[in-house]
Amino acid sequence: MSVRRIVTVVEEIHAEGGRELDRPARIAVVAAVIENPWAGQGFVEDLNPGIDAHASDLGALLAPAVLDALEAPAEAYGKAAIVGLDGEIEHGSALIHTLKFGDHFRKAANAATLLPAVEKRGPTGVVFDIPLKHITDATIRSHHQSFEVRISDAPHPNEIVVALAAAAQGRPQQRLAPLSTEQ
Amino acid sequence: MEHTDESIGLRKLVLYRDVVLTEAGEAPARPAWRASVAAVIRNPWVASGPSTDLSLEQARIAPVLAKLLTDRLIASLGGADEIESFGKAAIVGTAGEIEHAGALIHTPYFGNLVREFLQGESIICFADTRAEAGESLIIPLWHKTHAATRSHYQTISARVSDGPRADELVVIAAASTGPRPHPRIGDRMTDPVVTTETLEVVPS
Repeated sequence: MSVRRIVTVVEEIHAEGGRELDRPARIAVVAAVIENPWAGQGFVEDLNPGIDAHASDLGALLAPAVLDALEAPAEAYGKAAIVGLDGEIEHGSALIHTLKFGDHFRKAANAATLLPAVEKRGPTGVVFDIPLKHITDATIRSHHQSFEVRISDAPHPNEIVVALAAAAQGRPQQRLAPLSTEQ
Repeated sequence: MEHTDESIGLRKLVLYRDVVLTEAGEAPARPAWRASVAAVIRNPWVASGPSTDLSLEQARIAPVLAKLLTDRLIASLGGADEIESFGKAAIVGTAGEIEHAGALIHTPYFGNLVREFLQGESIICFADTRAEAGESLIIPLWHKTHAATRSHYQTISARVSDGPRADELVVIAAASTGPRPHPRIGDRMTDPVVTTETLEVVPS
């Protein structure tokens, strides 16, 4: 796997809605900028060999890194695959929509739910939003949130940005009634 | 002691860090970690007019920011000893003056302390602008003790997705642990003498 760059972004929110938080809210993202394994090969019918070659390695690289960056247990998580202009969104989906990729994060975070995802194709420097949901119960409304990311020189047309996101809590100042109150 | 967040009107901190593992297909001899840390704070001078004396708030807020930002930079890059180049920046929201950005980054209350905390000697290079939330700013970095070290001329881009609001300021400190990925444009020691007389073709 050819990794060009690894990017870490950590946000620490101290106040929201004009009120200080009891403790700062943290969200971390770690992204690997990699060469699209299927770049320059035309339409590749069977993506499985490429998935087998790269998906697990990517999960193993990113999962511990994003938890290190968060410096706290993860309560919500999500993932992203942003494909450069010469690739197919299917290439990004291939790398992240497999247990070979996601199980690294689920195990490291003691998580159980499906990882919500953004898959998108765009130019270098494209802005993308990673959705996050609770790691053990995707219906926990307080933890539905998203995180905006931009890497100034990625993805190049022949690259894919693969990223994991983790939050140490729900939304800052979350105060919606839980789903169960409406059922 | 007054709580830091309230005293400087801190809304959020954004850390960006990257490392280049391959560039133009080859691994750098010395992969450099680069980082920027941005603080989004309330602009203390909004709607105050150009005759306002900036010195009191500048002396109160800038040292707090210098400590906060350099602590995060040092932690994210493995220690002040690891840091080789540095830079600084500010983005002022649209209800402020560019002078407000300068007040927080261009005086000894910020610059001298950042230099001291990062164990540098050079003047710190900078960028500043007035912009809407989400604007990317390219921050120049140069060597912290020998500013003319050409291998260390580099930039890092910083951006806060929802800041600055019109009445906010973003203040940024940035650093790198090494040079550009494949530095090979010589240095002042290796440069030939270049003047209009030594060139065969002189631009006109």
